[in-house]
Amino acid sequence: MADPILQQSGIFTPAVIDDIQTKAASGLYQIRGYGTLRQRRWATFDDLTFLPCSLTRIPLEGYREKCTTAVTLGTRYAKRPIQLDVPIMITGMSWGALSLNAKVALARGARAAGSSNTTGDGGMLMAERENSRTLIYEVLPSRYGINIHHMLMADGIELTIGQGAKPGTGGLLLGSKVSEVIARQRDLPAGVDQRSPARHPDFLGPDDMIVKVEELREATNGEVPIFVKMGASRVYDDVKLAAKAGADVIVVDGMEGGTGASPAILQEHTGIPTLAAVCEARAALEDMALYGEVQLVIAGGIRDGVDAAKAIALGADACYIGTAALIALNCNRPLHVEDYAKIGAAPYACHHCHTGLCPVGVTTQDPELMRRLPIDEAAERVSNLLHAMTLEIQMLARACGKSDVRRLEPEDMAALTTEASAICGIPLAGTRKVYGH
Amino acid sequence: MAEITPLATVECGQRPIREINQEIKALIAAGRTGIELAGPGARHNLGVGIVQLARIHIRGSAGYYCAGLIDGPEFEVDGSAGWGLAESMMSGKVVVHGNAGNGAAAAIRGGTVVIHGDAAARLGVSMKGGLVLVGGDCGYMAAFMGQKGTLIVCGNTGEAFADSMYETTCFVGGKVGDLGTDAVIEPLSEEDIAMLDSTLATHFSAGERARKPAPRAFQKIVAGRKLWNFDKRNWQWWREAL
Repeated sequence: MADPILQQSGIFTPAVIDDIQTKAASGLYQIRGYGTLRQRRWATFDDLTFLPCSLTRIPLEGYREKCTTAVTLGTRYAKRPIQLDVPIMITGMSWGALSLNAKVALARGARAAGSSNTTGDGGMLMAERENSRTLIYEVLPSRYGINIHHMLMADGIELTIGQGAKPGTGGLLLGSKVSEVIARQRDLPAGVDQRSPARHPDFLGPDDMIVKVEELREATNGEVPIFVKMGASRVYDDVKLAAKAGADVIVVDGMEGGTGASPAILQEHTGIPTLAAVCEARAALEDMALYGEVQLVIAGGIRDGVDAAKAIALGADACYIGTAALIALNCNRPLHVEDYAKIGAAPYACHHCHTGLCPVGVTTQDPELMRRLPIDEAAERVSNLLHAMTLEIQMLARACGKSDVRRLEPEDMAALTTEASAICGIPLAGTRKVYGH
Repeated sequence: MAEITPLATVECGQRPIREINQEIKALIAAGRTGIELAGPGARHNLGVGIVQLARIHIRGSAGYYCAGLIDGPEFEVDGSAGWGLAESMMSGKVVVHGNAGNGAAAAIRGGTVVIHGDAAARLGVSMKGGLVLVGGDCGYMAAFMGQKGTLIVCGNTGEAFADSMYETTCFVGGKVGDLGTDAVIEPLSEEDIAMLDSTLATHFSAGERARKPAPRAFQKIVAGRKLWNFDKRNWQWWREAL
């Protein structure tokens, strides 16, 4: 039994006390990277389980029978849709938030796996283009580094409205990471705490965006798909508006999505979970009779092939990974442990991307730290992760009797909680009931 | 500037915008670098994404994103232009004889945008270089988050002018409606006056220039740099800014 004298408050926990005292000292909200750190009490992909074949369905041989993983994005309007060998893509993360070595390693890793990677806030790094097979060019509200020539070199254009970690707010790049090189790339003074805008400079609402999407399509001669990426908030309505605006591909980034630096409260208290987001997005496209014609990419805390397979079964054509790819690069690995301690972190508990002092050379602009991430080895780990995740998806698909991972469907799963049943419209395990429907 | 060949005419009519833009690009590729667009009908996305040297004369008004995402060409618009005029331009020149809608010259990285009439809200927002010159007034939040380049408004500005800027330098010949967060007025230097004199002389006719304020009457507005880095001593600024 707890000592009544030493008992801690359930309201003013040590973490709350630290937060209040930190703000009392700094006069500023807390800023950090990584994404939500809360213990998840909301419905997640873990609240679903696959129902493999037994007598009612016949499985495919798990280790050998053909199970296709290729995916095509941009079939609606683009002359040159994106063809990927695997349904896992690398999401947009800026050169600035990430080191040059990290960006190039992600590009090479994605290329080796037959996947894609995405630029980020700050424009295209030429070394990234040279090392990519399929590179998607992000057009963000800041327009840092915007360059029509780079757009013409891209395989897809992603108009980013928001990000899952912080929908409705722009990103941050603190002064320690705005090196001379990064400042030049972004047309900023070196060392400023760069605050990206939330609104695009040249359109505001969904009706304007119709013209904006057309502009991007005109600028690229209709060759490549136009993605529209949103943080998950009012997903059902937002997806409908993006589809109406002419998006070829819609990306929905759930609240578990990562960030290089943002106010902590936004990471913890804004947006809806990825599981809920994929269900709303699919419903929106189905209600517009555009499901299958407009492709859906889901992002936000996707950890492994299981999460990705469940997202695909719920309606995604492909998934983005960000944090998982950085972890493959070495993020939070117990190397250079003393340098984690110097920034007040520890392996497995580091979310200090915002400091620019990443001990493993991933989220830094310090040349010394960056050297800790040899590109070839890091690229191989990224490629291996993409392969392994794809094998996991195939494993589950074959067990469910599917010869193409895209044939996974909600009927292949049962819900383990009433919340997941209600959100996904899937019967609760042990019942034939879909709760809330 | 490329050598001007005999003027080629592109009839806009009711043709799809893709067809119009592809014809413009095909003409330029064939060496026809002097082009006029007849009957533009304020269509959106006219002349988007052109990355070659050319002179394109729009005989009327243009809609949204006219000359957006260009690098190199010169545009002249006889009428007015809609939102996002010349947005993200790398280099070139865009002249509008009428008015321009919201977000004119947004995020430009270079080149020159001249609007002889008025500009609406968010003129030059997030501009990263280049020159923006407005003969009349501008709406609210002009030069918001301006990073580099020069913005000149001969008339009055709307609210929150030059808010949260980095290194854009602004000049206003009329009344500044309301300075944005961290915007400060700085005395004009002799170099500033010479630059204003030369810029007005370059882009305006003598008659037009005579109706503009004299260079010495302009106010210069730059960033106070209080928002460049987080500092608890400036918390009241941040409360306003975020």
